[in-house]
Amino acid sequence: MLSLKLAWRNLFRNIRRTILTCLLISSALIVLILTDGIILGMVDVMVGGITHTLEGEAQVNRKGFRDNFEVEYVIENPDDILSELDSTEYIAGNAPRVIVGGMIASPYNTTGGLIYGVDATREESVSKIKQAVYEGSYLTGKEREILIGSEMADLLEVKLGDRIIVTAATVDTNEITQELFRVSGFVRFGPEEMDESFAFINLSQAQRFLGLENRLHQIAIRFKDPEDSKNRNLPIFAALTDDQIETLGWLDLQPSIGAMIEMTNYSTAIVGTILFLLTSLGVINSMFMSIYERIYEFGVAKAIGTTPLQIVQLVLFEALLLALISCFFGLVLGYLLSTYFAVNGIPMGKMEFSGVVLDGNMYTKLSTYQFVAFPIYVTLLTIVAAIYPAVFAARIVPTQALQRAL
Amino acid sequence: MTTVIETRDLYRHFGSEETEVVALDHVSIEIEKGEFTAIIGPSGSGKTTLLHLIGGLDEPDSGTVTLSGSNIAAMSGNELSDFRRDHIGFIFQAYNLIPVLSAEENIEYIMLLQGVNAVARRQRVKEMLALVGLEGMGDRRPAHLSGGQQQRVAVARAMASNPDIILADEPTANLDSKTGVSLLEVMRDLNQERNMTFIFSTHDEKIMERATRLIHLRDGKVEQDERK
Repeated sequence: MLSLKLAWRNLFRNIRRTILTCLLISSALIVLILTDGIILGMVDVMVGGITHTLEGEAQVNRKGFRDNFEVEYVIENPDDILSELDSTEYIAGNAPRVIVGGMIASPYNTTGGLIYGVDATREESVSKIKQAVYEGSYLTGKEREILIGSEMADLLEVKLGDRIIVTAATVDTNEITQELFRVSGFVRFGPEEMDESFAFINLSQAQRFLGLENRLHQIAIRFKDPEDSKNRNLPIFAALTDDQIETLGWLDLQPSIGAMIEMTNYSTAIVGTILFLLTSLGVINSMFMSIYERIYEFGVAKAIGTTPLQIVQLVLFEALLLALISCFFGLVLGYLLSTYFAVNGIPMGKMEFSGVVLDGNMYTKLSTYQFVAFPIYVTLLTIVAAIYPAVFAARIVPTQALQRAL
Repeated sequence: MTTVIETRDLYRHFGSEETEVVALDHVSIEIEKGEFTAIIGPSGSGKTTLLHLIGGLDEPDSGTVTLSGSNIAAMSGNELSDFRRDHIGFIFQAYNLIPVLSAEENIEYIMLLQGVNAVARRQRVKEMLALVGLEGMGDRRPAHLSGGQQQRVAVARAMASNPDIILADEPTANLDSKTGVSLLEVMRDLNQERNMTFIFSTHDEKIMERATRLIHLRDGKVEQDERK
């Protein structure tokens, strides 16, 4: 107990140095909390951008369909699948779709595109097509409605109510078929490739147009808990997978994004390592200065019978207390700053990252481990950094130390 | 009489070749239990080096130091620390108290190292403070004590572990004459009441007057060894 008391009082012998060292350690903790918060926030935006814009958190597809979006890869009996999805408690919504590549022509121009036949009501629980409508109106289920991307609209030089012709191949006969639509709205998702090539029509008309009857190409799924989409052992994935169809979460649908997000997680480790190294040097320097100032005391302590191990213990106690004080302030400031940026965001400008548009502010995301694991890491780091100075203090030769005192 | 300290052919030099200084040149002495010994001599005669070697703070180049029958050269670092803690009390010229601890805590520190329980520690601290005439000043830190009071605390600290031997390196050098005499009286009383062995390195005539034995060192050699 006296060792702890001694260590505590030693911290206040040179208050300026203690404050500076605490600032260094606290800053490392704050930066670590903020960096991780920003990365978590960015990953959330990216995952949200991928899954909530259009793709869904999971999808049921005919095996091979996603390779080239060929129309003949259809889900033959979707009703059973849809009812199973409807009755699964942890699924928030599902959206049946028909997807076909085709030519879209206006009186002025022609372009290729991907035409989605969607159930307007069900899409609302899965995607953000409705929110992407910036002019005109969302699909209402009426015949000949079509939503087109903003870039496509520019290319086709059309305005609301204009007629456009969609040309595609039918499923069973592979014959060319055409259908007339009137532009009912324009959508803007952000990524250029979506806005210049995506068009949306009502599901029933798409099925009739392509001769699909009730068959589908895809069912997009959204879970109540987004984390479920990453759980490959979730029963629904196995239940809706057989030799013809497959049900996959977004990590398997977009493996490159999953890998990229995993790499993003490493950036916390990299930032943490750099911070830890710099902080270690600061702690080592501070502890050495403190030891050099008290070298005669260590000499006396050893002379009167303090063992080297007890000297090491004393210095490590000082490091521990320094770390605890620093972590207290680091946690308080880190929490306040992280909460502030979680509400108000950090202005980042507009950038596109792996097909996801990050626009405006970046919001930090708070997580319990930032306030539990990071302070433990910082405390351990401070103690580890103090080992070298502690061993140095333990090796002080009393006679040499006592000569310095005179 | 029991021999508590025995040195045999102690040799210690510092520096090398041109700068070599022989601090102790084959010094052999025996000190009996309860002696109040002053090691005297001019500066550089080897007084402090001899004290450090006797206290196990330094190692001789050759020769042996035997304390209460134990050859300290044969002890490991931790054994030596334990031996110093339990058998030797040190008093230094510059007091060398721990500045962030109060007088009581400075005295208590060594007992903490010995593993003495809290109740016994507190009782002994009180006793030690009374012994050196510092009752009521236990909560003061060294900065709030005079030089003489600090040295009294140092004496109390040295006594607290109930050692067999007290080694005091110029203990009165930084004190005024009156304070020095007062402190010496305290140490002389302890010596007589508790039969504790005291060895001083000193230039102070007042210590020499009170010492029961004077060992004169010159150029690292024992020039004269007189018992009063």
